[in-house]
Amino acid sequence: MDIPYTVHARPDTGLYNAKIGIWLFLASEVMLFGGLFSAYIFLRVGADYPWPVHDLDVTLGFINTVVLIASSVTVVMAWAMLKLRKFAWYRINMAITVICAGVFMFNKSLEYKAKFSHYAVKLTDGTMLTGHLPNGYHVKFDGVKELSITIAGGNKAVDADPVDVVLPAIEGDVPKFKFPSGTEQELNAATFGELQKATRKAAYEAYQAKRDGMIADAEKVLAAATTPHAIYEAEKRLAIARNYNVIPDTKITLVAASPIKFAANTSDIFGYTDTTLTFCDGTIVTGKLTDDKMTLQVDGVDARGVAQSEKSLAFDHRYLGDAWQKAFVENRDHHIATFEHDYPTRDKTRSATLQKDSLFFKIHTSTPPAEGKAHGDKHGAEAHAPAENHGSGHDYPTVVLEKKDFTFFSNFTPKLNTYYAIYFTLTGLHGLHVVAGALVLLYFLAFDGKRLRQDPEHLANRVEVGGLFWHFVDLVWIFLFPLLYLL
Amino acid sequence: MADNVEAIQKSIKWYLIIGGILILASGATVWLSFVELPTHSLNILVGMILATIKATLVALIFMHLNHERSLIYKILLFTVVLAVVLFALFIFSHEDPLVFPGFYAPVEQQ
Repeated sequence: MDIPYTVHARPDTGLYNAKIGIWLFLASEVMLFGGLFSAYIFLRVGADYPWPVHDLDVTLGFINTVVLIASSVTVVMAWAMLKLRKFAWYRINMAITVICAGVFMFNKSLEYKAKFSHYAVKLTDGTMLTGHLPNGYHVKFDGVKELSITIAGGNKAVDADPVDVVLPAIEGDVPKFKFPSGTEQELNAATFGELQKATRKAAYEAYQAKRDGMIADAEKVLAAATTPHAIYEAEKRLAIARNYNVIPDTKITLVAASPIKFAANTSDIFGYTDTTLTFCDGTIVTGKLTDDKMTLQVDGVDARGVAQSEKSLAFDHRYLGDAWQKAFVENRDHHIATFEHDYPTRDKTRSATLQKDSLFFKIHTSTPPAEGKAHGDKHGAEAHAPAENHGSGHDYPTVVLEKKDFTFFSNFTPKLNTYYAIYFTLTGLHGLHVVAGALVLLYFLAFDGKRLRQDPEHLANRVEVGGLFWHFVDLVWIFLFPLLYLL
Repeated sequence: MADNVEAIQKSIKWYLIIGGILILASGATVWLSFVELPTHSLNILVGMILATIKATLVALIFMHLNHERSLIYKILLFTVVLAVVLFALFIFSHEDPLVFPGFYAPVEQQ
């Protein structure tokens, strides 16, 4: 069956059907992105931290803006060329559009990648240090002899998975373990699977025995009941017994053949004390905490959250020290003096830019700059962070932070703050639209050759509809770019 | 709509001009964002006005909304009204009686 009105307009609407379809779809898309922009406004109005301005890579964002605008021109040109029956130019313009989409997504991947390997650490006095963790961050335990595993009865959100969660955290060789059966064997998926199966079976049998006992007791009580109230109570008890469905958890201890050392990634644990380490599968190990210090290569000190910025904990003698403090103060005072000179009547405390330039100190060398050189740098630390291992030729001071001195750390992902949450949501959804739009346009270019030869007017309508979607993608970016990168 | 050959040939020139204007306007947005206006809110306002102008150009010229059938405008009218309501929602957070200034201020300040 042919779809009607794909080429010529429907008499009552004056439009071919796909055009009404795409506009209705775009209307729903406006509401989708509108809801997210509304969320952006709420998050920004309610943010309890300095909202990042110029923190992302503005150059990369601007290049992507130009790329999207260029692709918007080429897609509408492709449609026009098709209408003029200049097929070669149509193909060229469509190809450029698809290439632009690829360039956009490539740049976006560079931008995303840098954020996953760049960290912010919040110190107890409110200072935010930014930088890289060259070795990751691990909590180290020594002298562990036992794993206390809790095998859940029934389906529970947290269930024992020591093979995937606990074993990778062991430093050195993995010893054999003494199982509850008394045998000493390796802990792997097969042996743990058997143990889990047997434990669950025993737990289920215990549950059934308990339930049967409860029912038998309740039935006896019911048989002996004489008054209406006693019968009512006994029937209630029986119903409870019949509905009893609590399958107990089982705690199992696996004893290691030799003491184990752990270096657990913090994303794999629930928490720890000086003597116990709890993994996110519920497994608890007992031993001695040997190291929970964090080694950070610092590329920025953000003291906007500190009342007396020069006294930030970052400049403690154990960390960056006096020389960096001096450079920080010089940079801060330089920016304040410049602002006072340029805008003598303005309130310094109300300039977000001045707050950032003066109190968010960016570091590009391992040693403090010479006197008189520590100012004038407006580079955003986050924006200029290279993807991995500081491969940009820059060098950075390294500090070893004690756990008691920091309260929170995260890479530049949604976990860090609401800005990065909405940044990833908006740009991620927009990126998906870029990919979807590019695939549709690529399909027209690569697989619609027959239609191009036999029914170019139909293909022109298709390209127009695909182009309308593409322009919408560009239109969303026109607002995203200033809101996330610039303002 | 521009579907006759002459009109399309004319509009090709305009597509290129508008593309150039959009790129220049994007450059201006970047530059203005680094200019220290009296308040940062003013920077945001200027940036959003520029973005709205750019979006309008895209919609009018590239998406052909400068010469479209009335049905499309009717669909978009609903969309625009609802979107404006969405953006205005945050105003209600300022009307929340729990954060009304006099509600929790210490007695001596009232």
